[in-house]
Amino acid sequence: MPQATGRADATHAVVFSPLDGAGRAELVEQRLTDAIVAGVLRDGERLPSESELAKRLGVAVVTAREALVALRDKGLVLTRRGRDGGSFVTHDRDAAARMLDARVRALSRIELRDLSLHYAAIAGMAAEVAADRASDDDLTSLADIDARADLTSAGGARRAIGRFQLEIAAVSQSPRLVHEELRLQAEAGPLLWLCMREQAYRDRSRQARLEVIEAIRAVDATGARRATTDHIATAVEWLIDEKARLEASPLAVAE
Amino acid sequence: MTVTVDVAALRIAERIASTIDPVFAMIDDWRTRLEASLAAMPEPSAASFDPVVAELVGEPLERAGSLITGAGFVAAPGYLADAPWHLEWWLSGANTFGTGAGLRRLDAVSDPDSEQFRDYTGLEWWRVPARTGTRHLTGPYVDYLCTDDYTVTITVPVAVGGTMVGLVGTDLYVASLERELLPVLRESGHPCTLVNASGRIVTSTDPRRATGALLRLDGLAEALAPLREREGAASAESAELPGGAIVVPCGDTSLALVFEA
Repeated sequence: MPQATGRADATHAVVFSPLDGAGRAELVEQRLTDAIVAGVLRDGERLPSESELAKRLGVAVVTAREALVALRDKGLVLTRRGRDGGSFVTHDRDAAARMLDARVRALSRIELRDLSLHYAAIAGMAAEVAADRASDDDLTSLADIDARADLTSAGGARRAIGRFQLEIAAVSQSPRLVHEELRLQAEAGPLLWLCMREQAYRDRSRQARLEVIEAIRAVDATGARRATTDHIATAVEWLIDEKARLEASPLAVAE
Repeated sequence: MTVTVDVAALRIAERIASTIDPVFAMIDDWRTRLEASLAAMPEPSAASFDPVVAELVGEPLERAGSLITGAGFVAAPGYLADAPWHLEWWLSGANTFGTGAGLRRLDAVSDPDSEQFRDYTGLEWWRVPARTGTRHLTGPYVDYLCTDDYTVTITVPVAVGGTMVGLVGTDLYVASLERELLPVLRESGHPCTLVNASGRIVTSTDPRRATGALLRLDGLAEALAPLREREGAASAESAELPGGAIVVPCGDTSLALVFEA
């Protein structure tokens, strides 16, 4: 049967699929989990109240409550009663590492590669367009972000990548690419840049930034895209390898 | 170099300027009032000054058909006694940022220890007017810290006793500006592109000239240099580029029209 058969029906179905309802609590839960694991929400930080969270995310209060209960069950959030009460992030570095490892194990190789491909599509295109649209000021701020990068820790190296990629998206002058970059940083960033645990990969990330900056300076759109997507490719190769290591470890067998 | 420019081209440049001038005049008026108000305060604080700003910018933001989507005051670090880093910035109901509706205050991160904190004194809309002491038009740019959209920001320093204590300004969506300006550009009958002082395209009648891209023409950067150096001052002269394109500054807006041959 030709692949195209039924295609119109499928796209039609997507248009009229429910916008809310089932799955919203999971989306809220995943968003907050990613933020906690990525260190955006820090250990001990107080989360907004249920009603405030619901308002900010545009979901019902029961949905926000459901998500908070799930986070509590995962041990990522602690709720205290009383005058100084509220929900607090309880997540140290070890817990974050364990949680990320669990996610690497849970996602298939296909999903990991697909996630990185999606991210490469966004980041690569942003770099390509940025090469054509960067002003001298833009080049200065990109170089500045690189100069401030802290390559002595995994978190520092990852934050530098995040900042740099966000600036590249902004330089591309596309609100949509900026939006997608931010969304994918939250979703894929913590996983994709797990390789920043190793110094050699942190050094490689710096090298990639310099290559991108040079390509942009030379108005070399293809070069800027290539340097960006090659960097993401090395990261996902490390990740696939890490998945194999985790799967071979006794912990994985025990689960 | 002086070039002879079509009267029609000059008139279009004037009309572009007269569309934006009311926004400049409004900000200048805000600055005068805010400076007077701050000078009268023995110890300026966010608690006492915020209501003054809100009162000033609220009504213009909500006016029907308003070009502006955000406005307010940003304090110099350490100036306000009770808020070392402070943005008193308001968003109009037309602003699509966040989930809120109606006129609302921007929820800015003012704690320097937070991961989301950004030192705004490094950003173009602060950096340039702080250096030149005069008005600056930033953008078009994607304002991912504030309005989350494709924006032009106009900022003017606020000074008390000769010292800059902050700045007052406003945001405009590039899409709204384009809606106002493109019909004017079309009247010239020639391919015509409006650029900022860095040569970045604001809007164009030529479909190949994308908003946000840099207009790369020989000699354009040099022709625009006076606009960058003397922003807010009397207008620069028109110039002809080696390729035959004519560059016409739009009054004191720091924008210029480029008529390609």
